[in-house]
Amino acid sequence: MKIVREALAGTQESSDLMVKIAPAHGELEIVIHSEVIKQFGEQIRQVVNDTFRAMNVRQGLIIIEDKGALDCVIRARLQSALLRAADEQAINWGTLK
Amino acid sequence: MQSQPIDFRHTLVAKHPERLSQIRYLLADSGLGLDNDITLFVEAWSGTQLVGCAGLAVNVIKCVAVNEQLRGENLSARLLAEVQNAALERGHFHLFLCTRPCNKERFARSGFWPIVRSGNNAVLMENTPQGIERYCRSLSRMRKCGEKIGAIVMNANPFTLGHRHLAEQAAMQCDALHLFVVREDASFFPFSARLGMVRAGVAHLPNVTVHEGSQYIISRATFPAYFLKETGKVQLAWSEIDVLIFRDFIAPALGITHRFIGSEPFCDITRQYNQTLHALLASRIEVVEMPRIKVTGNAISASEVRRLLKTQQFSRIREIVPDSTFAHLETHYRASAEVA
Repeated sequence: MKIVREALAGTQESSDLMVKIAPAHGELEIVIHSEVIKQFGEQIRQVVNDTFRAMNVRQGLIIIEDKGALDCVIRARLQSALLRAADEQAINWGTLK
Repeated sequence: MQSQPIDFRHTLVAKHPERLSQIRYLLADSGLGLDNDITLFVEAWSGTQLVGCAGLAVNVIKCVAVNEQLRGENLSARLLAEVQNAALERGHFHLFLCTRPCNKERFARSGFWPIVRSGNNAVLMENTPQGIERYCRSLSRMRKCGEKIGAIVMNANPFTLGHRHLAEQAAMQCDALHLFVVREDASFFPFSARLGMVRAGVAHLPNVTVHEGSQYIISRATFPAYFLKETGKVQLAWSEIDVLIFRDFIAPALGITHRFIGSEPFCDITRQYNQTLHALLASRIEVVEMPRIKVTGNAISASEVRRLLKTQQFSRIREIVPDSTFAHLETHYRASAEVA
C-alpha cells in the first residue's frame, strides 16, 4: 500500500488516539507519542508495527498521539488513516483484522 | 457543565462576520485579541453558549480560547483536532501554532512540538516532531566549504539595484553566500516571479546559492507582523521568533557566520527586525548592516518601484532596477498601448 497524500484519523479524546500520515520518500518513520508510553510502549509499538506489516506499508511519515487507547482502537485508527492516505480505492477487508 | 454536550461549528470569517462579536468576547476573557488574518474559526457550543474557539490563518492556528468553566475537560484538544481536520480539507497538513509560553504544556499534550520561544511573550509550535529538523537536514546538504559563510534573506518585491548591491558586496566578502527568497505569497509580486528575478539578478556571482525560502524564514508562521504590519509587543515577539529560528537552526545547518542586511530608512517593522538581529545574533553570528545605495539622492527601495509601476513610470524604474528585473516588469506590467 502506497501513501500518496496526507491524512488524519482519530481524536485527542481520552482513550482515543490521533494518527497523522504524510508521504515520505524511501523511509518509514513512525513517531509514537503516548501518555502511557512507560507502561505500554512496547505493546503499542507492536500493534503499530503489526498493522503496518499487514497492510504492506513500506514508506511514509506517521505520527501517533495516543491518549491511552485500547489495541483494537489503535488498529482501527491506523487503518482508517492509512486507507485515507493511500491511492487504493478497493479495500481488502481480509488484511484488516 | 459536564452534562451538556458540545457541538462544533465552523465559521468562515468572510461569510459570517456577525458571528465574530461573540468570539471577540470569548477571546477578550482570555486576554486575547482577534487577529485580522484569520479566515476560519472552529467554535465549540454548549447549548446556546459559545464556550471555545480556535482560529486558522492559512496554516497557522491562533486565537485559541476556552471558557474558564470548561477548562480541564480537554476541550482545547478537541478544538485543535477539529482545526487540524478543517485545515487538511483546505490542503494544509503542516500547521503552526503560536501561543504564550504558559500554554506550551497544554498544546504539547495535543500534538504540537515547540520550535523556539521568545522570552515570556510567545512560543512557536508545529504539529510534527521533526519538521524543523527535517528542513535543517535538507539544508545541510547545501553546505559550502569556507571560513566566511554569509546569508541574506530578501523578499525582493521586486529585485532592485539595492538588492543586487547588497548581494554583490556580501558575496565579495564571503567564501560562499546563501541567499533566501521569502516564500510567503503575500507580496505584490508572486513568489515564482520574485525568485526568478533574484536568480537572474545574481547569476553573475559564482559563489551565491539562491534558496527558496520556507515556512521557517519570515513566513506567516514565524513573522506574521511582516505581512500584517501590526504594531507593538506582538511584532517584537515575532521578530525574535524568526531570528531565533535562524540563529538556532538555519545558521548551524549551513555553517553561516555572517548575516548581511540593508539599512532600513523607510519601514519601521524591518528596522526593528534589524535591531532584533543585532541583539540576538551578537557574539554568535556577525551582522553586517550595509547602507542603501542611492540613485539621484534617494535610497533605492522596492516599494518605490511598485509605486512607479502603478503610474507606469518605466523610465524612472529603469534607473533603479537591474536589466533582468526591468525586462520582467516590462513584459508583465507595461500597459499595452491603446489601439486606435
